[in-house]
Amino acid sequence: MEPSDEELCKRIAARDADAFELMVDRHQARAYRLASSILGNEADARDVSQDAFIRLYESAGGFDGRSRFSTWFYRILVNLCIDHQRRNRWWRRLAPLKTPGGDDPDEHAFDPPSSEAGPEGEAMLKQSIRRLRPALDKLSPQQRAAVLLQTQEGFTSREIGEVLKCSEATARVHVHRGIAQLRKLLQND
Amino acid sequence: MATIHPETEIVPYLRGELSADERARVVAHLEGCAQCRATADASSAMLSNLASVIDDVRDPDWRTYRAELRRKLRDAGESRGRVSARWPVFGWPSMAMGAAAVAVLAIAIVMHRGAASAPAPEVDQLELQQELSSTDVGLLANYHVVEHLDLLENYDVIEHLDELGPGDNRNHETSS
Repeated sequence: MEPSDEELCKRIAARDADAFELMVDRHQARAYRLASSILGNEADARDVSQDAFIRLYESAGGFDGRSRFSTWFYRILVNLCIDHQRRNRWWRRLAPLKTPGGDDPDEHAFDPPSSEAGPEGEAMLKQSIRRLRPALDKLSPQQRAAVLLQTQEGFTSREIGEVLKCSEATARVHVHRGIAQLRKLLQND
Repeated sequence: MATIHPETEIVPYLRGELSADERARVVAHLEGCAQCRATADASSAMLSNLASVIDDVRDPDWRTYRAELRRKLRDAGESRGRVSARWPVFGWPSMAMGAAAVAVLAIAIVMHRGAASAPAPEVDQLELQQELSSTDVGLLANYHVVEHLDLLENYDVIEHLDELGPGDNRNHETSS
């Protein structure tokens, strides 16, 4: 039987390298994808998600089990993403974000996602994501994190509040404002 | 009578997060409010689109990713080891010198404040307040916006408050 995240965390606190490997293997894809969605940059997502695992290794003993492990770990990850963005804020203003697919900063191209809706549906999905990505970058870090934790990780408002260290009501406000802002940005686009 | 639109509860409603009471209240409101129904429809579409953003992220080569992580972890451990190895030699004397410097600085500040506070003229608080209130403070024109801001998250808006138009009202209450 697979050990739970909480059990692995205890073993990591006791410096069990195998437990750490297993934990990384279990969460690397979700952590990387969430960081990539928040940061909009794959190289940064790689660095920041790796840093989150290092923090996990260093502070596993601090996990008290009162919340779910995933909530605790994503709090570390999201905080690192927000810190990273704040540190790079001045630079981002000078140099627009680059996403894979081209040198044109306005061309937020991605590889075509797999879609069962055929080429037409695929093209529409690609187009809507192309517009959504730069709009996401315009949200505040908290709004972006709240919206992505909800839509991509399936976190409830209470769990988002735990990650962002705010009340459930404030988490709902972050999500509401984020979605409203995205709609506004896409309407004006 | 003012109608409060349950704006922040629409997404939790769509995601099935609400309690039975909250859900019933939102459903009842949606039945009578076309504006919130439109918001709910648009939010639902937006949530669906957002979910596909993550599917669009390309995975790195995980073997390389984990090799980099192991190297970073080793570097972090070595760097911590170097720091902790230095502490027994340089740590306590450095800390003692630092504490002494802080104490000297604190005494100097207290003495300076004591000297400066003696001749300070009395200020008529009421007069000062009146003078301030008669001053044209441009930002107060947008106070209704400030009221709805989380200071930490909306620094962009705060930075550009002076660019907001008079019609940019974020009050979500409407009269019915």
